[in-house]
Amino acid sequence: MARVVLENIVKRFGKVVAVDHVSLDVRDGEFMVLLGPSGCGKTTTLRIIAGLEFPDEGRVLIDGKDVTDLEPRDRDVAMVFQNYALYPHMKVFDNIAFPLMIKRKSLGLTKEEIKKKVLEVARLLKIEDLLDRKPGQLSGGQQQRVALARTLIRTPKVWLMDEPLSNLDALLRLEMRAELKRLQKELGITTIYVTHDQAEALSMADRIAVMNKGRIIQVGTPDEIYLKPKHVFVGKFIGAPPMNIIECRIARIEDKYVLECPGFTRTFPGQPRNIREGMRVLLGIRPEFVEVYKEPKPDAIKAKILVTEPQGSEIILNVDINPEGEETLLKVKTKQGPRYEIGEIVYLAPDWTKVAVFDKATGSSLI
Amino acid sequence: MGRAKKRSKKKIIILFLLPELVLLGAFVLGPIAGTVFLSFVTPEGIGLGNYYRVITETSPDKALIIPENIVEAQPPPWGALVHNIVWVAIHLPLVVFLGMILAYLLHEVKGSSIVKSIIFLGMVIPMVVGGLLIRFIFDGTLGVVPLLFQAIGLNSLAHTWTNYPETALISLILGSVWLWTGFSLTVYSAAFESMPKSYIEAAKIDGASGIQIFFKIVFPLLKHATIVVVVMTMLWDLKIFDIVYVSTLGGPGGASNVMALVMYTYFARALDYGRSSATAVILALITLIPGVWFIKQVLKGGPKER
Repeated sequence: MARVVLENIVKRFGKVVAVDHVSLDVRDGEFMVLLGPSGCGKTTTLRIIAGLEFPDEGRVLIDGKDVTDLEPRDRDVAMVFQNYALYPHMKVFDNIAFPLMIKRKSLGLTKEEIKKKVLEVARLLKIEDLLDRKPGQLSGGQQQRVALARTLIRTPKVWLMDEPLSNLDALLRLEMRAELKRLQKELGITTIYVTHDQAEALSMADRIAVMNKGRIIQVGTPDEIYLKPKHVFVGKFIGAPPMNIIECRIARIEDKYVLECPGFTRTFPGQPRNIREGMRVLLGIRPEFVEVYKEPKPDAIKAKILVTEPQGSEIILNVDINPEGEETLLKVKTKQGPRYEIGEIVYLAPDWTKVAVFDKATGSSLI
Repeated sequence: MGRAKKRSKKKIIILFLLPELVLLGAFVLGPIAGTVFLSFVTPEGIGLGNYYRVITETSPDKALIIPENIVEAQPPPWGALVHNIVWVAIHLPLVVFLGMILAYLLHEVKGSSIVKSIIFLGMVIPMVVGGLLIRFIFDGTLGVVPLLFQAIGLNSLAHTWTNYPETALISLILGSVWLWTGFSLTVYSAAFESMPKSYIEAAKIDGASGIQIFFKIVFPLLKHATIVVVVMTMLWDLKIFDIVYVSTLGGPGGASNVMALVMYTYFARALDYGRSSATAVILALITLIPGVWFIKQVLKGGPKER
């Protein structure tokens, strides 16, 4: 149980700034996900919290105590590695017992007590019948459970996970997602979880910190991140398929600001702040928040279907919203039902309360 | 039809194996058989006489087990075979220990490849040159080691080590540590390179100290590398010849004699091919022990465990 605070962490590797003034406050018992593309500094940030890397600047606080210069073993954290890092020469039992065995004397535990604890954790993770095997004899999912058991045997203050599900096959990954989340809520351990999979982040996190190029771009609940991206990067990174980004221009008609986009013009959605005429902006429309009609509707955008991608219950339409001018691609996700033909003209009605507008120059949200 | 196909396949296999078998037979198996045969040929006929005489020989330059004492400053009262065993007993642990420790300390250090290259030099230079260098290292007026002892006031060790029966063998053994550590370091470095870092990192986070990490995680994971180093070092120690020949010729008074040199002495000086062969067979049988063990370990297969 602990609160983890990062204060202005900077980490450089040679000339590369891997982590660039990162500050983050992880609340007690919270499931925080660090999300970002590879090379964004999320793993380095996690390793700094673990004590495997030491920051060049800034402080790491666990429960208010400055642990910036402490060795990993003095921090009371546990970490699940991407490749699980199970010791191949030890049986599953010894792997799980390892954190207690090496501190047996200082903890004053007998072998019997350790055995009891191992069985307890093994039962929690449903691996009691694997204790006599070596890691090499286990499947990926089983190894994953053993790795989790090893981190839980000490009931650490902070649970760190570095892409723990990425080595599992797709089906097992979905299963483990739910189980991990349930386990975390049951045990109430503060968890910091690194992933590049936005679906994983959205489904598991209490809050998400989206990172790019060593910086935290936005911290928020999955809903906030999904519905109110503060930066065009967040919009493009979250969602499958990601947010459509259309380059538009701000114009003024009478006393109202409007968006002049390829193929359509529309009054500025939301309260216009910090905008001026002639400004270049990026309009973000999520594929899910667009209604598709076969007949013309007022205010709907006329579009031509280029490609259809059926997804089972849903279908993704790739449409050109500027059939008369330069091709402007938009992806739209809609329910399966009516037949959509390639070349067909459809009419799109985006939910204008759920669109985003970003400054093209800075990428920040203007709404 | 299937059977005919099988038979013709067999023929092809034999056809391809034939050249190798002929070459191996003529140049490897033949000489071995010849040597074994020769070792049983004595002036009195076929028998074990050569073996008996070789083992019980006491002249200092040929004794395998116990020589007679003819030098006043008494040499270590042992023969060449015992010297080989002493060699293994001192050299092997040192080489394993140094190679492993150096590889562990150097594996994440910047510029460590330079240090490793320098250590590896011992492996690169010809052993004959290595033998000469050992003489220089332990030379009373030039050598680093005697000068060091002189500096700390231990004058009894500030002489040319290879000239005195008490120190000749140990100087060669220590010198061979320098020559051979490069091998051990290279094998262990490769093993460290292929070991995922996360093992050590996981142990660190789990609360293990540096010493615990080394003995509970690193050492067991290096098992396969250790087998290779132990066996190769034992074989090298048992077969050692060149550096002894160059630096001491087994002397003084047989104090640094080794098996291979005894074999050579019978062959090239005494021109006694029977006893030379007998010595060779004994040496070969001894080297077979680590050799066979190694092959067993390899056949057992490391990959299963990983």
